[in-house]
Amino acid sequence: MRRPLGLALGLLLLPAAAAVWAQDPAARFREGNELFRTGDYPKAIEAYRAVAATGAESASLYWNWAQAALARNNTGEALWALLRAREIEPGDRAVSREIERLRESANLDPAEIAPVPLAAVNRASRRFHLDIVAVALLVASVVLHGLTRRARHLARLSAAADITLGIGLLLAAAPLSGGFAQPTAVVVTAGAPLQDAASPTAGTIGTLREGEVVVVLAESDAYLRIEDSSGARGWTAAAWKLERPMGVVSHE
Amino acid sequence: MRNVQRWRASLISTIGVALASWTGIASAELTLRSEVEAQRVGVQDQVQLTVTMSGEGMPDNVPMPALTNLRVVNGPFTSSQLSVVNGVASHSRSFIYALQPQAVGPAEIGEIRIKVGPTAYVAPPIVIEVVPGSIRPRGNAAPDPMDPFGGEDPFEMFRRRPGRGPEPKLFLEAVVNRDRAFVGEPVLLTYYLYTTISVTDFRFVESPTYAGFWSEALPPPARSRGGDVVNVKGETFRRFALIQKLLFPTKAGRVIVPGSTFKVGVETGGGFFGPQQQVVERTTTALTVNADPIPDERGFSGAVGRFTAQAHLDKTNVALGEAVTLRFEVAGNGNLKWIDRPPDVKVTGAKVYPPQMSSDLHAAPSGISGTKTWEFVVVPETGGALTIPALTFSYFEPELRQIEHAETTPITFQVKGGPAGAPSAGRPASGSRAGGPLALRSDLDLPLRTGSHLSPRALAGFVGLLLAVHGALWATPWLLDRRPDAAGRPTGRGRSRRALADLERAGQDGMSKEASVALIEKTLHEVFGPLEDEASAPPTDRERAAREVLQEVYFIRYAPQLGDYSEQIRSVARRAAEVVRKWA
Repeated sequence: MRRPLGLALGLLLLPAAAAVWAQDPAARFREGNELFRTGDYPKAIEAYRAVAATGAESASLYWNWAQAALARNNTGEALWALLRAREIEPGDRAVSREIERLRESANLDPAEIAPVPLAAVNRASRRFHLDIVAVALLVASVVLHGLTRRARHLARLSAAADITLGIGLLLAAAPLSGGFAQPTAVVVTAGAPLQDAASPTAGTIGTLREGEVVVVLAESDAYLRIEDSSGARGWTAAAWKLERPMGVVSHE
Repeated sequence: MRNVQRWRASLISTIGVALASWTGIASAELTLRSEVEAQRVGVQDQVQLTVTMSGEGMPDNVPMPALTNLRVVNGPFTSSQLSVVNGVASHSRSFIYALQPQAVGPAEIGEIRIKVGPTAYVAPPIVIEVVPGSIRPRGNAAPDPMDPFGGEDPFEMFRRRPGRGPEPKLFLEAVVNRDRAFVGEPVLLTYYLYTTISVTDFRFVESPTYAGFWSEALPPPARSRGGDVVNVKGETFRRFALIQKLLFPTKAGRVIVPGSTFKVGVETGGGFFGPQQQVVERTTTALTVNADPIPDERGFSGAVGRFTAQAHLDKTNVALGEAVTLRFEVAGNGNLKWIDRPPDVKVTGAKVYPPQMSSDLHAAPSGISGTKTWEFVVVPETGGALTIPALTFSYFEPELRQIEHAETTPITFQVKGGPAGAPSAGRPASGSRAGGPLALRSDLDLPLRTGSHLSPRALAGFVGLLLAVHGALWATPWLLDRRPDAAGRPTGRGRSRRALADLERAGQDGMSKEASVALIEKTLHEVFGPLEDEASAPPTDRERAAREVLQEVYFIRYAPQLGDYSEQIRSVARRAAEVVRKWA
């Protein structure tokens, strides 16, 4: 009697469990890895995309995405995934090495994948947590300053408070200036046209290089107004943004 | 003299011959034709027969056709034409006969047959109706072939000066078949020549550019021999359609078809030495076409016209790794020539490579028709049944004034040789890495979100807040110093600094003993208050120190003036300053 009841309860709970499993980013990530191992790269990428859409983004997710894209010879998409991984985890050396390797294989100049120097400053500040360090120093400076005001015999801490304040401001300048970096995008399609308007019928004014990182000037629906490394400006639907909000996968 | 007569007799037919020779530019093949001025004539009229050959390999003579109820009264007169148009030369020769009807009733000019090599060329017979009397206008009557002067003053030609004749009566006109079209919709532009004289050649002075249009040249238009007889402002002209072009507006708004200038070679009356060649220039007037905009939507190809689309695969059963070719074909009439955008083809489980495009298009006055084909190479990456989804070609239908969608049916093909989802043996080496793909990462390793990084805005807020706290710490003592006490005197550190400054001045700069001690006493009272001895409460250390200094001040104030007290005053001032520094 007890066994059938348990079986029925299990059957009832099965769909709910499946739904939870399907929404679990880690499970979906592992499913993508399995698809990759069986050689079904398109479905593997779909799985990784679904994970990213939940907001569960990590360097590992984009690393695997890049490998699947590479398996399909989509260098631009792979480079985008790796650059996205570096945005999330700037200190990941393997990601940096792979970016460099792909850059060379795509015959791109280093400047063509780093058109905005402030973005590098921003990454460095995130890598070394300069924002947190700066805030900590500034708080320490306030505390020291307060101590010198409170007790006359602690007046010698005044110099330490000033130095701490100066270093804190200096460190805070890096992430703050990085916040002014222009958004960028990666050309993910070989021979993608640069068009004179955000329309499928617009005229073509040039061709973009796959894997090139371009500066985003504006957005309109699925189109980005970009400026490439040669200074040419136009619209394209074949570039994926790097600095997009977490969990939003666009241009697909 | 006879030459003059001959040229005059063949005036009308020569126009046709000259232009016929121009149409023969495109083809070097021999042509033969016979023609008469009119197929209804009076028994008293004469009728002119013109037999014209043009092209390569012309014989020197043509056989005389059989005549029924007609007789030759003069001829044959021969006329040769060499025309050079757009750098291409063409040659034609005409044989002209003057025929006289013999009786009222039907008459006929038999067929003319010549043979050049293995090919026979035939000019069909011509039937003529002969009516009583004369029905031809006097002015147009054929000259009497027996009149050596052709009915004209024989001395007139001596009075003429070669090349100084009247302005040739001809003009050109550009006409569009519509003055309003949608962007991408074809507009037919035709250049017409209106003339009353023989034209030997014409060409653009400068090749026209049609800004705001895509232009497509059309083959020379078909036209009736001798042109169309039209009346322009009471004058009779013969009109020939010379050139046709298709213009496709590329932008909305008013688009101008500019006027074009032609150089036209004509034959004028001439003088004693025969007809004169003359080149005149004529310009067409500019035209305006109003181009209406077309709507846009995602996936719209930009095609304007009427089209159908179909897709098919070269095979539906392939081995894993074997490529199939998907052909996507669009057929119809419109501006297909300028549509290069392929459809977006995505096949789950297969890699689709960029397509190759080919086209088979023909331009006609109604537009450009034909097909355009995109060929995609599809390489399966998994086994099983793969499906090419329905492909859509969007185009603007001018008559319906809306975007239509031509859609293909989905195509399924089978991939054998491996289980579904198995890796394709034929696919390119993964990742183009010689040593194979890099290892996957097994864990998602989500980064620590909370507090790991501050957004620039949050950081700016923190920095601003902490700087404000710093500012407050700096500013508070200063503000406290600036705040006056109940008596309106400054308090705190400011008061101490001022007291020290006053004590520094005491005994300096020749200040008298009384003034110096008064200043010290006043300063101590300002800093420490009244400092009375009879206060009930026991004095604090602070008050005691101040009172001691104050006692010394009193001592100096009331001491007899027996000497110089400046040293003592400075000493007391220093001690007072120490007390102020320590206790104030």
